[in-house]
Amino acid sequence: MTDTNDNAGTDRKIVTFSLAQQTFGIDMRALIEIREWDEPTPLPNVPGFIKGVTNLRGNVIPVVGLAERLGWEPSAIHARSCVLVVNIAGKQAGFLVDEVNDIVAIGETEIQPAPEVETIEPSVIAGLVRIATRQKDGTRDEKGTMVLLLDLDALSLTKHLDLAA
Amino acid sequence: MSDELDEIQAIFFEECAEGLVTAEQGLSAMQAGDVSAEVIAGVFRAVHSIKGGAGAFGHADLTAFAHKFENVLDEVRGGKIPPSPGVVKVMLSAFDILTDHVESAKGLAPRPADEAALAALEQVLANKGADDGAPAAAPAPAPVAVEAPAAPAPAAEADEFGFVPMAVSLDDFDAPAEAPAADAWWIVTFKPSRAALANAGEPLLIIRELETLGAEILSVDTETVPPLRDLDPEDAYFTWTLRVPGEVAEGDINDCFDFVAPDSLVEVRRDEAPAPAAAPVAEAPAADTGADEFGFVPVSAPIEDFAAEMQRVVETIAAASPPIGSVETPSIAPKAGGDAAQQTIRVDLGKLDLLLNLVGELVIRNSILADRLSPADRQRVELPELARLTRQIQDNVMSLRAQPIKQAFSRVPRMLRDLSVETGKTINLETYGETTEVDKGVIEKIGDPLTHMIRNAADHGLESAEERIAAGKDPAGTIKLSAEQRGARIFVRVQDNGRGINRERVKAKAIEKGIISADAVLSNEEIDQLICAPGFSTAETISNISGRGVGMDVVRSNVEALGGRVEIHSVPGEGTTFTMILPLTLAILDGMIVRLAGQRFVLPLAHVLETVQPEPGQVKRTSPDSEVIDMRGEYVPVKRATEIFGLNDDRAVEDSLVVIVESEAHGKVGLVVDTIDDRREVVIKSLDQNLHPIRGLGGATILGDGSIALILDIEALVASTNRYTPKGMAA
Repeated sequence: MTDTNDNAGTDRKIVTFSLAQQTFGIDMRALIEIREWDEPTPLPNVPGFIKGVTNLRGNVIPVVGLAERLGWEPSAIHARSCVLVVNIAGKQAGFLVDEVNDIVAIGETEIQPAPEVETIEPSVIAGLVRIATRQKDGTRDEKGTMVLLLDLDALSLTKHLDLAA
Repeated sequence: MSDELDEIQAIFFEECAEGLVTAEQGLSAMQAGDVSAEVIAGVFRAVHSIKGGAGAFGHADLTAFAHKFENVLDEVRGGKIPPSPGVVKVMLSAFDILTDHVESAKGLAPRPADEAALAALEQVLANKGADDGAPAAAPAPAPVAVEAPAAPAPAAEADEFGFVPMAVSLDDFDAPAEAPAADAWWIVTFKPSRAALANAGEPLLIIRELETLGAEILSVDTETVPPLRDLDPEDAYFTWTLRVPGEVAEGDINDCFDFVAPDSLVEVRRDEAPAPAAAPVAEAPAADTGADEFGFVPVSAPIEDFAAEMQRVVETIAAASPPIGSVETPSIAPKAGGDAAQQTIRVDLGKLDLLLNLVGELVIRNSILADRLSPADRQRVELPELARLTRQIQDNVMSLRAQPIKQAFSRVPRMLRDLSVETGKTINLETYGETTEVDKGVIEKIGDPLTHMIRNAADHGLESAEERIAAGKDPAGTIKLSAEQRGARIFVRVQDNGRGINRERVKAKAIEKGIISADAVLSNEEIDQLICAPGFSTAETISNISGRGVGMDVVRSNVEALGGRVEIHSVPGEGTTFTMILPLTLAILDGMIVRLAGQRFVLPLAHVLETVQPEPGQVKRTSPDSEVIDMRGEYVPVKRATEIFGLNDDRAVEDSLVVIVESEAHGKVGLVVDTIDDRREVVIKSLDQNLHPIRGLGGATILGDGSIALILDIEALVASTNRYTPKGMAA
């Protein structure tokens, strides 16, 4: 982790996590908490990527299989599976991810735009950024890893469901 | 600092909103023929206080308009302009413009074009012959809080009895010795509300201001001063009668009272008798014998006598009271009833919501406790008592949020007036059940659906006058707006006596728009429901009122988001009724915990009639995908929620239970469930708070063990069939 200097302006923190062998990142400011995977209550009549709803301190929040939502193979549940609870435009949702990796600071200028080609919904990836990753032994891998930054607003469930309804 | 001002201004706008509601109700009553003094005075007060507040915040346009409006109202109140239907109509239009002015002052709308309304008001004023000629200037600014000079000796003793505020003012009552000659006087009676001082409505300031107009005090009625034990030094007890030279404009006198506390009595009238010292005909009833003792000061009494009189009053009170030691603290002395203003407070809705959420949590914790304790332990820790108290707190918090539905209905008359102009149709509005109380959240959310329903009724439902005459109907159409509570549901109806739904055309349109297939066989009800399908509009020309094909779709989705539904009932040639069926509260539900394919669901108990364990052969198929259950000779359709929800269920019906529910739309229906776990109150958590409403579900709840159970929406479940699902209507 780096400094907590908010004045820098160009720096922001992201949470990185693995999903379908890729490394993704979301803006730290949207993150509410990280929870262990707990089987949610399934919902009828919803798209398959909505795994159900769970109880977050008295709030009923949807749990989304982020892999399916992004068009990858569904995540297999294992010991390190966890749920990132995020706030998207005032609504809370949990994203099932394979493993949470790190919290890193990146500079706004380091973010490259995502190529236009990728998915049906090109806007889901807000940009690409290369980060130096920590190895298990504490040394840094200088080659670094590409992180796919997610555009949470584009992942808004309400937006998606409005279209589906 | 500016935040503070904004806050005060926000209160002003709230008061404006309340004032507008009051004014509109009064005007509507006048339109309906109730022109009693009370009603007129109510409207006057409402407009007057809007003007006052607007002046203080520098909303010049609003002030000027309200002022003109007020002038007319004042003349009507004074009986100088008869409240004829024509005049009432002008006032209603003026009211609409006033509403627009308030919106404009809020910065939500451009300044309305008020010239026509002003001219109409002017016309009304001119026609009755005499105008009070009050200039339409901004009203007096907030009285400057001049400190009263310290009271000399006479007050000292009074001090001990907490009489200070009144005693101080005595010195300032020095009226001019000689009254200016005038052929007529204004007689002003001013009785501040009991709460005037608490509301910063210092009567002294008002009297000072009147004195700048040449007013002099004729008398002070101290009759209502209670015995010391009941005396609250924070209360105002006196009634002043003053006279003001006749050449002063009535508007200027009234301006002095812009900032009086609510419920104060202010009466300004011409003194018919020229004798300046005529006995005041205040509202005071014939004084009872005790009154004199408390110093009903005659008009002619010199001021010094008055002061002495006051002194005597104080002493009398003191003498008549038990020794101070045994007197209760005056500030907590019981206050006389009838002061409603002081018994209400404004509370931020957010705080109420938070409270409600916390109480909801408390209820959940209660059931967690109940789950974890053995029955004996529950008794030992007095859990039932705790549960009862929690329940009471919850009921009370809920009732805090309950508001009469009038609030949602209040904008309808205005809307219909506009619609009447736009469509050229004469529309009568009848409202019923306005006092029905509904959760504030529900009221806020039915505004839009209600607007659409009314527009729809006025635009599509009602025919033009010519068509109506041709059909042998009253040329004026009628829209009935009603609300009633039935059990845990609120029914809000918009009923028109128009042409009814043209089902042929609706169906043709739906096919054309691809909402249904060309060979779909639909019942009348199903055709009617198509009106609520997204993208549906039959209006040949898209008017700016309705017909964009979003209206009724919005109605349906909004109402369903509230856990309610919309019913449409139409009789060709006779009219259409739209009914919104809404939950009474958004927060709590008496439920039965059932299992469907092993998963727990909550079935609202209000719908449950009985539960049966079917005998072999009691459930029979009537088609490959429909079943009935034989209930003592009555065949009741059976639905499998597991199938509707796509849950895996291979359980034989004989191993299941059938819960017979009563639905509004489809009568008795049997729902197949695995088992029944429990019966309990659950706190409803809406799914759309973080997700989206889901068809067939009324929300979710958190059970005692922290897990979530989904709440079944019986009406939606019962309405869903496998036979027919219109495209675009399935969620």
